[in-house]
Amino acid sequence: MSELAIRRGAAPALAVEQLSYSYPRAAAPALLDVSLEVAPGEFVLLAGRSASGKSTLLRAACGLVPHFHGGEVEGRVEVAGLDAIAAGPGELAAAVGYVAQDPETQVVSTTVAAEIELPLEMRGDGPGDRARAVEEVALALAIPHLLGRAVDTLSGGELQRVALAAALVTRPRLVLLDEPTSQLDPVSGDELIWLLRRLNEEWGVAVLLAEHRLERCLAAADRVVAVEDGRIGFDGPPREFLAWTREFDPTLTTPAARLFSLAGIEPLPVGVRDARRVLEASTRGALVSPEQHQSTARPKGPRAFEAKGLWVELDSGDGARDVIRSIDLTVAPGERVALMGRNGAGKSTLLRTAARLIDPVAGRVAAERMALLTQSPSDFLVRERVGDELPGEAGLAALRAVGMEHALDADPRDLSGGERQRLALAIALAGRLDGDGVPGLVALDEPTRGMDRGRKEDLHALVERLAAQGAAIVIATHDVEFAAEFAERVVLLGDGVVIADGPSAEILSGGWYFATEVARVLDVPGVVTPEKGAALLVDSPSELSGHIDPQSSEGPGEGAG
Amino acid sequence: MRSPFAYIPRRGPLQSARPGAAVAYLGALVVVAFLYSSPPVLLAAGVAACLAGRLAGARTAVRAALRMGFALALLIVVVNALVVDRGETVLARLGELPILGQVDITLEAIVAGVSLGLRAAVTMVAFGVYSACVDPDRVLRALRPIAARSALTATLVSRLVPVTAADAGRLRDAGRLRGPGAAAVGKGALARRLLAGSLDRAVDVAATLELRGYSLGVPHGRRRPEPSRYDARFYAVAAVVLAAAIVGKVIGADDFHPYPTIHIGLGAPTLAVCAVVLASGLAPIRVARRQVRRRVASPPRRTPGVRGLTDRERAMLLGTARQGVSPRSPSREVDRV
Repeated sequence: MSELAIRRGAAPALAVEQLSYSYPRAAAPALLDVSLEVAPGEFVLLAGRSASGKSTLLRAACGLVPHFHGGEVEGRVEVAGLDAIAAGPGELAAAVGYVAQDPETQVVSTTVAAEIELPLEMRGDGPGDRARAVEEVALALAIPHLLGRAVDTLSGGELQRVALAAALVTRPRLVLLDEPTSQLDPVSGDELIWLLRRLNEEWGVAVLLAEHRLERCLAAADRVVAVEDGRIGFDGPPREFLAWTREFDPTLTTPAARLFSLAGIEPLPVGVRDARRVLEASTRGALVSPEQHQSTARPKGPRAFEAKGLWVELDSGDGARDVIRSIDLTVAPGERVALMGRNGAGKSTLLRTAARLIDPVAGRVAAERMALLTQSPSDFLVRERVGDELPGEAGLAALRAVGMEHALDADPRDLSGGERQRLALAIALAGRLDGDGVPGLVALDEPTRGMDRGRKEDLHALVERLAAQGAAIVIATHDVEFAAEFAERVVLLGDGVVIADGPSAEILSGGWYFATEVARVLDVPGVVTPEKGAALLVDSPSELSGHIDPQSSEGPGEGAG
Repeated sequence: MRSPFAYIPRRGPLQSARPGAAVAYLGALVVVAFLYSSPPVLLAAGVAACLAGRLAGARTAVRAALRMGFALALLIVVVNALVVDRGETVLARLGELPILGQVDITLEAIVAGVSLGLRAAVTMVAFGVYSACVDPDRVLRALRPIAARSALTATLVSRLVPVTAADAGRLRDAGRLRGPGAAAVGKGALARRLLAGSLDRAVDVAATLELRGYSLGVPHGRRRPEPSRYDARFYAVAAVVLAAAIVGKVIGADDFHPYPTIHIGLGAPTLAVCAVVLASGLAPIRVARRQVRRRVASPPRRTPGVRGLTDRERAMLLGTARQGVSPRSPSREVDRV
């Protein structure tokens, strides 16, 4: 039992002992000999690559595995003293709350108030208790204004909060969250993590959170558990986890830790505040950016995308409203642009208007041979053979453009997530390549949702290749770290208007939310990636030498990305 | 994209009423539609249903229901005109048609079709208003103790409908975004894909229901009384409409015979039923009560320490109200609602 649990003299919020689990008809087990304990009031971060077993572990902790999914299970899972394998998810509902990745399928009622009240009603609580609990959890999550709304009028972020409220309303001892920030903008994502931390501290709720964007939540965690191929690869404090990632899985490290690692600075920071503290204590003067004066003028010449005086109106049920308001924007062939902004800022609407899925109410938009990949690539896959999706020479050329020509006879369902995304892009590109096989405009809407860093690197390489061939690339994304790596220009939208448009290094270092972790650590204009930051730290006059560990330094030029 | 029939929470009388009262009220209009074939009465029921929807703020649902209702009505009129050859006023002789045989289009068959079509349209508008104004959560909550399994199925379906609609919209968009060189996607392939996807969605929604404790069975806790000051109004209107409709039917208010020649009676009973049914459309109106602000002259109050002087006299003596209440203080004005 952990020190914290012993101190409080309580049973652990979650105790997993030698748990092995295989889904029905699965070739390999999803979890293998997993042992884990979460103490009451502990905040544990679950790290790992895609399909490593994080979600399965969370589902085992709330009783969905094996009760709902079936399969073979061995070992023991106890939640707040209840045997999770013997009891079903319904019986565990009072002790554990679960928030899954997709908020749309996590609500079952029509209105927010009814959704939050449902678990209490099922438990048989009295009317007074229910009303009070709903009010309190709504206040805690800052959603009292949503209580009377219909759930299908809520944004993704609002829906995620409602799902969290429904999970917390029974005052469970443990709350499990599966990538809750994957659909949220940086502002809402940060808000959610700190809200969880506050609930954890003030209500004493133990939190087990699975995430890919570790830089968002590492500083809030008491402990990190890394899952590798269904086994526990690491279990310890965040700082030790960062040291472990350097040795065993660099794709799990955070940008700030990578910055320190490349610059050879010890100890590795678990968050921005930690990193700034080390740097502020050791640097003599302010760090000077090597690229402070960058031109924001757009090159004149051919245009792959142009919007002029564009207005788009949408009606989501509460009356029509202007989602895009007088946008002027051009993108040149070969340019790589990140389209960023809060949820509801108009990013997806702009791309959908350019692809002629929505008609503008005023202004004009023109896109040359545009291929748009929407947020869910699997929507493009309707046949059981890749070659049937993309027949003929045009199909083969599109497969070649995304590097998938080898998979002509494969079943799309057997492809990995990254390959399915490439195939969907090829379907959108087919017939839109010029004589040399070069696409016009390639637009992707939130392509890194739920991706681990390895898959992001593959996507980055593909985007680089298409841009090098002359395609204009526009990617709508909330992922500032990915934007900093792939984009040369960032367009920031706010409430349907362009609020910033310039070189990515300038835009992503000039704010707080839409800034990379490295930019927030160094606060130097123009420095957004660990590689550039490390180069600056190594070259700057500083007293960092006392912190630099020559053994740990990777060198700023190595292992980019 | 939201369905035009999706429930929108509002604070109108129809939305605030208990599901039973709202169902009784809208159901009374549907009963009228099925009880009567007289076009004036059916028209009155249709107008009443539209009016009720408009007053309840369900304009989008009414519009959509009217579109669907009129399309259905038109279909009924066409089919009735083709398959019924009764009536003396022949408008067109189409001759011998396969399956149908000899087809004569008569005015009477068209009018009879209009009557049937109106009945369908009234029913659709009433259901549209019900769908947009009655909270499904409250209906399911009321249903749960009576039929737990049916309530579970209804919950699953009611959630899957908007989710599947959203999935269908996304699949349609993905179909339109396919490059011209990709294999075309027919409606059949999209439907298969939607069905497969909706099964996955159903599993996710069912998992959420499990986690909310739905499998524990019927809740044993006390049900929250859901008070509504509008219930009596809707029950009363429903009772009046039903009574008028039944009495009217008995005394011959449904005075309509399409064959052999058209007869549409507009006697006093028919007009009376029309008036009652039409007036019932006003039931969801929100009566704004005027706030009456009355100045109440308060009786002079003696202050124990200042013999012989009222507060007003003392304040006048001091020039201003140094303490206590000034003569012009608004606190002496009593709001009465």
